[in-house]
Amino acid sequence: MLSSTPFREGVRAAIPVWIAFTTSSFALGVAAKANGLHWGEIVLMSALVYAGPAQFAVVGPLGAGAPPLQVLLAGFLINLRFLPMSAALAPYFRRVARGKLIAASHFISASSFVIPYMRFQRESQKPRAKEADNDESNLQFFLGLSMTSFSVWVVGTGVGYWAALHVPAEFEEAIKFVLPGYFACLLATEAREWSIRAVCIASLLIAVPGSLWNPNWGWIVTALVIATLGWGVQQWMQRE
Amino acid sequence: MALATYLLRVIPQLIAAVQNFPAAADRYLKYVAYALVVSTVSISLFVTGGRFDSPAAPRRLIALAIAVAIATITRNALAGMLTGTAIALLLSWFAAS
Repeated sequence: MLSSTPFREGVRAAIPVWIAFTTSSFALGVAAKANGLHWGEIVLMSALVYAGPAQFAVVGPLGAGAPPLQVLLAGFLINLRFLPMSAALAPYFRRVARGKLIAASHFISASSFVIPYMRFQRESQKPRAKEADNDESNLQFFLGLSMTSFSVWVVGTGVGYWAALHVPAEFEEAIKFVLPGYFACLLATEAREWSIRAVCIASLLIAVPGSLWNPNWGWIVTALVIATLGWGVQQWMQRE
Repeated sequence: MALATYLLRVIPQLIAAVQNFPAAADRYLKYVAYALVVSTVSISLFVTGGRFDSPAAPRRLIALAIAVAIATITRNALAGMLTGTAIALLLSWFAAS
């Protein structure tokens, strides 16, 4: 499999994802150190959860000893977006053996979803030999891209944590800023629709009062309310 | 959390009924993810030890605003983050001196 052409094409296509993952995983490792987690905990989390935004959201609560249910709910809600992503990829793996799918599913991530999805859509327009061969080749491309990206993510987290250990105390403000700053910038480059921007600005403003009202659940409740309102307004305006 | 995340990834691969995901629901989940991540950004920067960090909040807000502006203009998240981090650091040193 590792020497197959689709797998190697997947590895080549993954290079932009590696670059993005290097920065964000490094920042996650730095933030984990700032929040008092152990090196092994954050590296294991990166390997088992492998979901940047959700990991970012729970690093603070975990470090502060928040209730497990809060950590689980915050991570679950953010990761719910994997359902539509996985559903979008599923038709392109339809004839792949279930065992392979069960193993490969772990590597679905927001950043490594778009590239294979666009390629599969393109390829599905072309006449090909056998559909079963297409699906197997799709899986190999996906694995080439996603397994290498996954490795970069896990190693980057460990390296980021290690680097944070060697940062002098007077640079603590930088350590505190780096991950939230990076996610804010990522969202700023991605969120082009007015409704999503409005949801982001409202969340930024309301999360703090929500958190002060109830440190464990307040910000989750306010985020859900704002997301529901933003979505409701957008759906309503779309019907006009 | 790892198990819950894995199930969200694997279920649509194995169950055909989940593969027709409605566009409106897809959009709603996107909004939820954005709202939760931005809320986390806000709390990470402006809340310390369960309290509003009033001494640090203004300078972090300035650094965040500049970082986001640079990321938006250049379409480069890394450039925005590095600039914002440098500004947050400089402002904290300035406040301490």
